[in-house]
Amino acid sequence: MGLTDLMSMAKPNMDARENFLSKLSSREFVNCFQCLKCTSGCTALKLLELKPHEIVKLVNLGFVDELASSDIIWTCVTCLKCVQRCPQKASPYHIIMVLRNMAVEKEAQIPEEYLKTVSRILETGLAEAPQEVTTRKMEVFDRKSLNLPKITFPRESFQVAFMKIMEEK
Amino acid sequence: MPRIGVYVCHCGLNIAGVVDVEKVTEYAEKLQDVIVAKHYVYMCSETGQRMVKEDIKAHNLDRIVIATCSPRMHEETFRRTVAEAGLNPYLLEIVNLREHVSWVHSEEPEKATEKAKDLVKMGVARVKLLQPLEKRRVSVEKNVLVVGGGIAGIQASLDLADAGFRVYLVEKAPSIGGRMAQLDKTFPTLDCSACILTPKMVDAARHPNIILLTNSEVTNVSGFVGNYEVSIVKKPRYVDEEKCVGCELCTQVCPVKVPDKFNEGLSQTHAISIYSPYAVPKIAIINPNHCLRLKYDKDVCGKCLEACEAKAINFEQQPEEFRLKVGAIILAVGAEIFDASKMPELRYKQCKNVVSNIEFERILNASGPTKGEIINPQNGAVPKTLVFVQCVGSRDKRFHEHCCRVGCMTTLKQAILVRERLGENVKIYVCFNDMRAFGKGYDEFYRRARELDIDFVAGLPSDIRSAPEGSLYFDVYDKGTNKLLEIKPDLIVLASGMVPNTDLEKLSALFHVSRSNDGFLLEAHPKLRPLESLTAGIFIAGSCQGPKDIPDTVAQASGAAAKVIDLLAKDVIELEPLTAVIDKNLCSGCQICEPICPFLAIETKTEIVEGTEKAKAKVIEAMCQGCGLCVSACPTKAIKMQHYTDEQFLAQVKACCSERR
Amino acid sequence: MKLAVFWGCRILTSQYAYEMSVREVFKKLNVELVDLSEANCCGDPIKSVKDSAANYLANRVLAIANATGLDGLLVPCNRCHFTISEAKDVMSKDKNLNKKIESLLKEEGLAYNSHIKIWHVIDFLHNFVGLDSIKKTAQKPLNGLRLATHVGCQIIRYSDLGRVDDAENPRKLDELVEALGAKTVDYAEKLDCCGAALMYGHPNSALSLAGAKIKALQNLGVDGLVISCPDCGLMFDFRQKDAAATVGAKTSLPVIYYTQLLGLALNIEMEKLGLHLNQSPVEQLLMKIST
Repeated sequence: MGLTDLMSMAKPNMDARENFLSKLSSREFVNCFQCLKCTSGCTALKLLELKPHEIVKLVNLGFVDELASSDIIWTCVTCLKCVQRCPQKASPYHIIMVLRNMAVEKEAQIPEEYLKTVSRILETGLAEAPQEVTTRKMEVFDRKSLNLPKITFPRESFQVAFMKIMEEK
Repeated sequence: MPRIGVYVCHCGLNIAGVVDVEKVTEYAEKLQDVIVAKHYVYMCSETGQRMVKEDIKAHNLDRIVIATCSPRMHEETFRRTVAEAGLNPYLLEIVNLREHVSWVHSEEPEKATEKAKDLVKMGVARVKLLQPLEKRRVSVEKNVLVVGGGIAGIQASLDLADAGFRVYLVEKAPSIGGRMAQLDKTFPTLDCSACILTPKMVDAARHPNIILLTNSEVTNVSGFVGNYEVSIVKKPRYVDEEKCVGCELCTQVCPVKVPDKFNEGLSQTHAISIYSPYAVPKIAIINPNHCLRLKYDKDVCGKCLEACEAKAINFEQQPEEFRLKVGAIILAVGAEIFDASKMPELRYKQCKNVVSNIEFERILNASGPTKGEIINPQNGAVPKTLVFVQCVGSRDKRFHEHCCRVGCMTTLKQAILVRERLGENVKIYVCFNDMRAFGKGYDEFYRRARELDIDFVAGLPSDIRSAPEGSLYFDVYDKGTNKLLEIKPDLIVLASGMVPNTDLEKLSALFHVSRSNDGFLLEAHPKLRPLESLTAGIFIAGSCQGPKDIPDTVAQASGAAAKVIDLLAKDVIELEPLTAVIDKNLCSGCQICEPICPFLAIETKTEIVEGTEKAKAKVIEAMCQGCGLCVSACPTKAIKMQHYTDEQFLAQVKACCSERR
Repeated sequence: MKLAVFWGCRILTSQYAYEMSVREVFKKLNVELVDLSEANCCGDPIKSVKDSAANYLANRVLAIANATGLDGLLVPCNRCHFTISEAKDVMSKDKNLNKKIESLLKEEGLAYNSHIKIWHVIDFLHNFVGLDSIKKTAQKPLNGLRLATHVGCQIIRYSDLGRVDDAENPRKLDELVEALGAKTVDYAEKLDCCGAALMYGHPNSALSLAGAKIKALQNLGVDGLVISCPDCGLMFDFRQKDAAATVGAKTSLPVIYYTQLLGLALNIEMEKLGLHLNQSPVEQLLMKIST
């Protein structure tokens, strides 16, 4: 859902903010003084209207639920420019990642591909399935025909361990 | 048997809000040799002090313990109190219940009270062993050293000289004037900087009480308040100061071009030149790093030699060293401008049309590289769109956390000047984060800028880019409109902040003055002693203490001068008696202590003991600062620090470790 | 010299040219690469789902690498390099997480080792092998080529973590290209992101980010774009046509991995470097090298 719609009737929820804070390793973001460097340089701003400065401020004011339900947090390209250039070390990227985790927790709608990836990793250890590559001359190659080593799947214990940490509260 | 009085201060609720002062008092009362124990809401108040004085007389007390705030706050106050009651002021012990207890243990009041009791017990143990001491009285030198010839140093020197003191004004550059000399106009009144500064520069040079030492640096400092001894090295100019008339004939013939420092490298001068159009003294100087003759061969070039009618050129000139005795020192060495090339994303030094505010100041100035014409450095065209970017290097944890305090006002001034000189044809943007206009007339000045159609964009760009043909462009998000603005400026001025001088580290070691976290010099107290360093007799003025504009700098300089006058007006000053003393019988003459003393206060003398010559260390009392290094270094324990003896400390440790009654 | 190597997912499943060229070039430089015994996602996509699980996956890589007994691990993918570096940093700071992950790894019969040095291809070649020895080993100088570089985001940001090159003025890849005799160009979009991370949720936007950059480079008239990250390879090479279409352009910009370029200079056969697998018109570039 769009953030504007979510925010229209929203009220701050400080418990949600506390929950958010417990998941973030650093509290530096409270130092944000809205200089807007992050948004001025945001890779996802022009195309998808991601405004990191707005997210930082909304989190601080307690609008965590609204952000976690919104689709805006899924527009970050993870280019890390905002982390690098923030004069107050507020790290909008890390905030967005925590919000994404919270979205998953509350079973908000998230891009399907992320959940598919979880299953793929569980099955094969890898986030992607091996592909065949068609060359410019229309020849088809795969790892085998390229004489590349076979992919070895993770040991059996991996699935249990991965499930354990995925399902942990 | 000693008769001790113990007084526990509430400090309002500062201490009493955490520590149970009544319990601490009750506890103190039961300690051995304590005759009186009382608590009161403000011990430092008139009533509190009177209570101590009356008790001393009524109960015949001979030692006092006051459990209160840090001794740095009120030890002097209470020493005066006990002295007024006829006790030796050094028979007083301060126990710190505020900084050491209540402020740091506010979460645990019960444990805090227990700690307070322990500290009081330790204080009582020590006070019993204190010895009466007398202050040292020393005469003072009536001369003053002022380091740095910017507006701060000039103002302080003039004030002191007018008050009748002899001032040595030492400046590293070939001319006094400092940063202010580089400025075009000053905010918020737009007076011409040179017009108000140059008369003061000339006054300083002509004043019979001021001895100007330009192109000079302080190399050594020893001594103590009232009696400093400093060495100054005057670097060679290779031009005879007595003979040079400042005609600049030499400059005109010099074939070597050198970036002009006064113009921030935006133009070139020559290997022999006069520092600036308003240089004081107006004497040429040869840059030894560039002059062909000084750099390569004694016989090359020599064009200046031929051109100089006054025969002032002297390639044989050597550095001169002076040793001076001064009673006080004012440090006024100024600040530097942040080097924006540390932020490559802003393209400073990569694109010629991105300049710093100090460089733009030179561009605006009639004596600058463009003769005051506002043109961009790349192709000399008049800019159609000009952008100021604020907070460069300042308020930024990656570089400097402090606010530069002048960036906003400098930008407003420069933007107004651009509008006034280029008219309506130029678009001016200021990209900012908080516009700080806090001084007298400053916010009115901000309004004036808005009236002149300067566009204020509430947001900072993340980076600045340049197209292949060199044109600049960048995106900036504006808080007010919620829009991303795409700006294509011809010229970008970066509001580069004031940062500590790179040689401040060296300087702080040389003068024994501390620096604060931001790297600037540390004042003795941020509110109550802003003009003094923590070293007695050394004062600070201007932006070496923190970024400052001209009004604040001048105010601080005059203030520091007044402080010096206050100090040197007396013929004799009193010094703390906290010095090291050496027991001759124990001294083995090993000389370990001598090189360890940072104040050169120990000398070794030979004495005849039982017919044989023996080396013995001796403390030069006037120079000893009581740091205690020699005490801990002495292998035979022959050195004792007065008022801080081993016995006194051990008594405290013992008291601390003993069971509480 | 022996190095463990962790390829990540993207390289193993589609960016074969990068894998082949790294293997060939390192062999030629006398560096033996030891593959890890099992495949493992670095955790990057899981960061958006469950951070602790992502940290587990990333640190599991270091545990598997530990089993090789080697003290250096080559991670040629930018994203894996960042994820593992950050997870290692988190492990050193967050004691609870550290305990949890170490015990999970123990259950799997693995042991965590925080002392393994993590290399990327770029810093290994630049800092360890060195520009001089690359210059010396190169038999076929690439003089006359005018190339642009794209280092990618995640090996240069964020500086506080300690990255492969300077965040604002990365020069190592450029210097490595220059060591082969080619010229590099500076361009305004140099540090712009390829957009790969948006492919999950917003593929069109992702492609238009890549498209804008390719279009700018095409206009600059460079002979090719040199990259060192499989995500960037996917966007600029594999998906170049689609990317260009989103910005209304038709481009034919050769995109080549640095290791492929280095392989050419080391006189390694093109097939072995996987040059037939690039989807962008690398033959334009190859022709300029052979003439």
